[in-house]
Amino acid sequence: MNPETEKTLAFFGRMTANLTHEVKNVLAIIQESAGLMEDITAICPLAEEKYQERFNRSMATIKQQLNRGIDLTTQFNRFAHTPDRSSAELDLADTVGQFCLLTERFARLKHISLTAGETAGAQEQIRLTTNPVQLFMALFFSLESCLNTLPANTAIRVTPQKTETKRPAAEFACTGEQAPQPGEFFRQLKAAEAWSELNDITAQLGGQIALDKDDLRFWLVF
Amino acid sequence: MGSKKEKDKIKILLVDDEQEFVNTLSERIQMREIGANVALNGEEALEFVDNEVPDVMVLDLRMPGIDGIEVLRRVKKQYPDVQVIILTGHGSEKDEEEARRLGAFDYLQKPVEVDTLVTRIRKAYKQQIETSFMAGTFAEAGEFDTAKKYMDKDKDKDKKKK
Repeated sequence: MNPETEKTLAFFGRMTANLTHEVKNVLAIIQESAGLMEDITAICPLAEEKYQERFNRSMATIKQQLNRGIDLTTQFNRFAHTPDRSSAELDLADTVGQFCLLTERFARLKHISLTAGETAGAQEQIRLTTNPVQLFMALFFSLESCLNTLPANTAIRVTPQKTETKRPAAEFACTGEQAPQPGEFFRQLKAAEAWSELNDITAQLGGQIALDKDDLRFWLVF
Repeated sequence: MGSKKEKDKIKILLVDDEQEFVNTLSERIQMREIGANVALNGEEALEFVDNEVPDVMVLDLRMPGIDGIEVLRRVKKQYPDVQVIILTGHGSEKDEEEARRLGAFDYLQKPVEVDTLVTRIRKAYKQQIETSFMAGTFAEAGEFDTAKKYMDKDKDKDKKKK
């Protein structure tokens, strides 16, 4: 990545981090005010039980949506700090989880489900030292390629793994009755514009893309 | 919820420039029987600490004027016994590293569940008590230099309180 691009990213990162900080303050005020109302009614409940129940239901909805907003803002704030370092040691499971939370909406708009998978039998963290922005870009181009290829009512699962040679990898596994056969899937995948971007960014990261020709799976190996 | 005695015992200072947030949080913490005071910026916080040393300080990082990191640095230098919990909406790992390096007891992301915060405050207070207890233990064991180190801290604290 050239210095000009890094500067631009750092600028956007600072602006976005600043704004998410403000949004978190707004959410914090709503949370505390709602919490105070809850504390007060716990000490002194409303006169009629039916109103207390309605109040509790509304409060539960507010808290549920607040938690959703807090999760998204926290992850987005972390994402905004991604350009802070051109190289960092990352926990791949943490990065994949963050990525799926932030990009789930892209999949949802196409009626495709996106989840972060759990590494089978993983006792220790899968860590890698890399450029965090470029890693996010690689994950995003992988997702975009899949979204351009898969029909509605299918699913994508991204799972951090270690290869047989102990290299960190992110597995993209697609499933669904409507999904194309592997041959067609990979033909369409490779035709996607995002796939060519993925190849470039993976090469810049010193990684490679491995395909499972018999299944709808591929790996980004770092 | 804590006991009445605890309200008299733990003294906390909440420092945040978001007035609505910090006042409501203070009210909720007081409902849990912990005495809470409020400062709306770094200058106010340092002034407060010079007059009445709290046991635990809950500190935001991004504030106009003297920011949280500078407040933390000065407080830990002058009053090392004060346990500082950072509560911030800023998710920078660099900030967390710096805060912990300067001696922050804990680093929490805003917003936080009030009961989680109260648990951490109690934990921080417990640690402070244990530190004081250690001073007594060292003195009893004849390790006066180590004990004096702890006692000097307390003496400075008492002097400032007067």
